[in-house]
Amino acid sequence: MPRERPLRLPLFPLKSIRLSISFAFSCVILAAIVSISLISYGLSVGAVEKNSQGYIEEIIKQVNTNIQSYVDNMENISLLAMTSKDVKYYISDNSFISAEERRPYEKRISDLFQAILYTRQDIANIMVFGYNGRFVSDRRITDLNPNAALTEQAWYKDAKAAGGRSVISAPHVQNIIQNEYRWVVSLSRELKSTDGITAEGVFLVDLNLSVINDLASDINLGRRGYVFIVDRKGNIVYHPQQQLINSNLRTELIPEVTAAKSGSSFIADDNDGKRIYSIQDTNFGWKIVGVAYTDDLIASKGALRNSILLYALCGLAISLLISFWLSHRLSRPIRDLQADMKLVERGNFGIQTEIRQMNEIGQLGRSFNMMVGRIKTLMDEIILNQESKRKSELQLLQAQINPHFLYNTLDSIVWMAEQKQHEEVVLMTSALAKLFRASITKDQEIVPIRVEAEHITNYLLIQKMRYDSQLDYDIDIADEILSRKTLKLLLQPFVENAIYHGIRGSADKGLITIRGMRQGDNIVFEVEDNGQGMAPEQVQRLLLPDDGDSRKGIGIRNVNERIKLYFGHEYGVQIRSELEAGTCVTITIPTL
Amino acid sequence: MRKQRLTILIVIVLVTAAVYAVFFSKLFLGPDRGGKTVTVVLRSLNVRSDYWQTMISGAQTAAKELGIELDLQGPLQESDTDGQVQALKDAIARKPDALAVAPADDPRIPELLEDARKAGISLVVMDTPVTLSDPPVYVANDHQLAGRLAGDAAARSVHGSPAVAVFSDSPESSISLKRLDGIRAAMKEHGGRVTGTYYNGDSEQLAYEFAVTLLRSEPQFNAFITLNESATLGVAKALQEVKGTSRYKLIGFDSSIYEIQLLEEGAVSALLVQKPFNVGYLGVKTAIGMIDGRRTDKRTLIGSTVVTRDNMNDPDIQRLMFPFPVIQ
Repeated sequence: MPRERPLRLPLFPLKSIRLSISFAFSCVILAAIVSISLISYGLSVGAVEKNSQGYIEEIIKQVNTNIQSYVDNMENISLLAMTSKDVKYYISDNSFISAEERRPYEKRISDLFQAILYTRQDIANIMVFGYNGRFVSDRRITDLNPNAALTEQAWYKDAKAAGGRSVISAPHVQNIIQNEYRWVVSLSRELKSTDGITAEGVFLVDLNLSVINDLASDINLGRRGYVFIVDRKGNIVYHPQQQLINSNLRTELIPEVTAAKSGSSFIADDNDGKRIYSIQDTNFGWKIVGVAYTDDLIASKGALRNSILLYALCGLAISLLISFWLSHRLSRPIRDLQADMKLVERGNFGIQTEIRQMNEIGQLGRSFNMMVGRIKTLMDEIILNQESKRKSELQLLQAQINPHFLYNTLDSIVWMAEQKQHEEVVLMTSALAKLFRASITKDQEIVPIRVEAEHITNYLLIQKMRYDSQLDYDIDIADEILSRKTLKLLLQPFVENAIYHGIRGSADKGLITIRGMRQGDNIVFEVEDNGQGMAPEQVQRLLLPDDGDSRKGIGIRNVNERIKLYFGHEYGVQIRSELEAGTCVTITIPTL
Repeated sequence: MRKQRLTILIVIVLVTAAVYAVFFSKLFLGPDRGGKTVTVVLRSLNVRSDYWQTMISGAQTAAKELGIELDLQGPLQESDTDGQVQALKDAIARKPDALAVAPADDPRIPELLEDARKAGISLVVMDTPVTLSDPPVYVANDHQLAGRLAGDAAARSVHGSPAVAVFSDSPESSISLKRLDGIRAAMKEHGGRVTGTYYNGDSEQLAYEFAVTLLRSEPQFNAFITLNESATLGVAKALQEVKGTSRYKLIGFDSSIYEIQLLEEGAVSALLVQKPFNVGYLGVKTAIGMIDGRRTDKRTLIGSTVVTRDNMNDPDIQRLMFPFPVIQ
């Protein structure tokens, strides 16, 4: 683009104030609504998250209670074994016993264990191992795995170390029985003799891991939420994605969880998404941890978002309309003022703009009104000045011709009286008297054409009598225009001009023809002579503004300017002239 | 004036749109995968197959984590290649968003997979490599690495330079070939050698007979590496029956109950255990990544674990050997 770039772009590059205002309003409203929507959405989501945190805590408490009750049950079962006399006797160090005597004991104990097992489907094994090398299980015939050393088993070692308290193992594959590999959680406990001091064996209850698994995996914590369990040391007891954690495909926030207190919860927000961890401790050392993804919890998040968006959009639409309306209202006085200024531009100085309020725009309007009023006064003054100038020029004109003309005429009268031409003297004197009467009426500038015609007739009469044989004249003014009005002394300067400059220098007999007629809406006068005529530049000079040196043009110019001043620019004087042929002056005025 | 009004309207609409775009992007965390489907076609859906069931549980874990629909297909028996071809055809006809396939070694499969690609389905090949015009995204156990680990385990168990006899199922099996490559590489490293490769098909009896014959002929090797379960069991049986063979070590692959028992007994020195869970999980996760248009690795290889008597009671190892969902 060839156009020059503006130095600085305006803040609102719009042409009208109204648009700028509405644009600014819209931006502000948009920003406000968006930020309010975002804030309210954030607040609602925060509230929902807080609620769900409590809800998750409740759920995890429930899971905790369930797992706790399973472990309590196992402990109760272990108590059952501990208090069983048969068991005690069977594993006791002291006495007996031949193989035959052992059988009934084994059978009774096994039956007891089986009875327990029947009532509890979730228990995998119940076994007792005596330090005397004897063992009994819930089955009649139990073959221990020859390749799995009993004393190497973690649950066995832990029970011995705990000295009478029950020990819960981490989930493991129980391989102590031949050909059996089951995932279990083991509760083991060292059995004491009746004196309560001597350790005599280890009791084992294996709980199917599926129980824990079911307890933990059945919990609904949203689509992606889950429950996991860690032990005191932070080892994972159960995790639905344990395989992934083992393979480092997933990490769990174990340090944070082990550091957290029972019943507490915290929020984690990383690549996996925002989620709530809720932690409960069991009394045997496990921590049950519930993890819920906030996105899942806020089921109505979409609805919440949509309704907020809807309300925001409605608010936006309404406030945009209001902003358009407001900007329209605010800018109206300015537009009114602008319209008035346009009128003034077109030349109408009669305007006064309406001022509604005395604010900045009102003040602007007042200043405008004052300015327009001032201009109007000045213009009126100028017109007045011009008019008075014309008048004084006219008076000057009258003052100039009169003495000269009067002298000549009186000279002619004297001459005629000497010749005893009484009639002529009477005629000329009366014509002169009429002529002067017409010029006396100074106050009226507009006179009927009839008066003007009389005046020019008188004038020509005097002139003809003076020049007699040299001058002839013909006045032909249509009757219909006689009652119309014209400027006073309109024709006389032209006739005077024709006589003094056209005919007087000419050798032939001069003829002055004056015609007056109606042409459409106008009245046209023609003053024609057959005198010596003028060159075109002479004609031009006649109508040009005052060049100051000659008095001969004053009359004609004065008439022309008076016509234009009175009737408008379309009216005025036209001169056609040809050297040695004559001059024709056409004067056009409106029909009044 | 009219033009100006139009401009301002457009500006407002654009600003609104931009602001709301920001608003929405803040609200929608991540892409919405609702209704997306990943079809997984395996070689076997047999509930008795630990390997495939574990892979399934991996796939299910990934599907749950990322919130997509999982469609599991495949024949009941691993040997039912026709069944897999049919399942694959049906799956392609249903036009899922992505297809994760553990293909059988069959000449019809590559053609079908090309069809699936042409139909605009994102394709992930799991477990067994397939040769396509444009190599597919591949997620599998690193069979070559497993072979190397087996070779390393053999070297450790013989306390010297290993000389191994390898029992494989067939010279065509791409997996076995890769494992063999790995073993050879390990032998080179340890100054050992592969004295021979024997193909027992999938027959425990054949492996047993080969092993007995080899052991009776005063062999020049000190360790067996058996690339599949049947060979492991056959060779272990031969080692137990033929007298004076305690100096021969046995390194097996996979982890059936029988093999685990052999490990407990000491008849097997080490077992190479794969991670089918990870294959299933990463296979489906990669497929979802492709649906989302994320950059995915062309090849994902998953390591194997060497299980010996010493570490077999570790909880991590137990998880691998006794896949939890199968026990349930």
